[in-house]
Amino acid sequence: MIVSVSGGKGGTGKSTVAVNLAALLSRGRRLVLADLDVEDPNDHILLGVGLEREEPVNVMLPFVDYRRCTKCGVCGKVCDTGAMLISPQGVPFLIPRLCSGCRACYFACPEGAIVEGGRTIAYTYLTDVSLDGAEFELVTGSLREGEEHTPPAVLAAKERALSLDADVHLIDTSAGTGNSVATAVDGSDLLIAVTEPTPLGLHDLGLILRVAEELGIESWVVINRAGLGPEDGHVRLAEERGARVAARIPYSREVVESYVGGSPIVLSRPGSEAARALAGLAAMVEEVMG
Amino acid sequence: MRAAFMVEEDRGLDSVVSSRFGRAPLIVIVDLEGSEVRGIRTVENPGARAGSGAAIRAVQKLVDEGVQAVAAGAFGPNAMTALEEVGIRRIQVSGVPVSEALRSL
Repeated sequence: MIVSVSGGKGGTGKSTVAVNLAALLSRGRRLVLADLDVEDPNDHILLGVGLEREEPVNVMLPFVDYRRCTKCGVCGKVCDTGAMLISPQGVPFLIPRLCSGCRACYFACPEGAIVEGGRTIAYTYLTDVSLDGAEFELVTGSLREGEEHTPPAVLAAKERALSLDADVHLIDTSAGTGNSVATAVDGSDLLIAVTEPTPLGLHDLGLILRVAEELGIESWVVINRAGLGPEDGHVRLAEERGARVAARIPYSREVVESYVGGSPIVLSRPGSEAARALAGLAAMVEEVMG
Repeated sequence: MRAAFMVEEDRGLDSVVSSRFGRAPLIVIVDLEGSEVRGIRTVENPGARAGSGAAIRAVQKLVDEGVQAVAAGAFGPNAMTALEEVGIRRIQVSGVPVSEALRSL
């Protein structure tokens, strides 16, 4: 089963929910947690582990064979990211940082003048996590500084995670609802949308629930920092979208303390209200898994 | 010579030069003979609507229009690299009408 944790808005507690669910669902099961927030992966920090077994993510980088180039300019016309500039003399000139490695120029060039090169845009990592009876594998995607295109990095980390045999693959996404989030959650059996009782939390919840709907993924809503503000809009929205409100995690000092302590609250304070809410959520996921 | 001016709104020679390069919606193109204006027209900047690589698309448009110099308030790293590569001169000026910016050519 593939379960994604997302939510649209940044800082709603996606990673907190993901690492706590990982700690709970890995008991008696093989679990892989995939941190696909490649621009700022931080599940390993929340879990207090390092990043191990690095593998590069390479994408195609075109080079122009100027002996073959007839200066027709087709490569510049098909380039979707504006990375291929055609000079006044008709000579193509690549700006590598803008290139997404899509190969459009390679396929379009009638002269075979585009040569396939490559470059490393990101790395993926695989770390064994062992915490208080919770054992699982963490796959992390990390985009290199200065790189602009997240989807190839998200996809590579996702593929590495899914290549590992497990009962549950738990995916933690970045904020937002763009390409990199859609790439991360696509193919999931369930999307857990973490929101908060704020106007922005409500707004972005609407967006992520639409993404889930478009991709045909069942979604649940988790209201984090419950008690901070009105939730009726969130509840109504969830109802409209056919999503169940699966948990309310209360806004509490204990959550902050576990965050500061660098250990998932379900392990450090299992008796707390927040930990009990997360345990309830995990039980619901377990029920669906059968 | 042929010079381009990145602008937000088309008001001919009275158009105000934009502070931005790649994302300015319009380009005023002026043909000059010495300091005399021989022709003026406005074209859309394809960079304004681009998902990414706005500056490169703007530069490509300038190349296709046969421009030798371009005015805007600021040029980013991609714009600078590309403009240097294709040999188009940058004129850093903004908030003034095209007619006045012409004098810095």
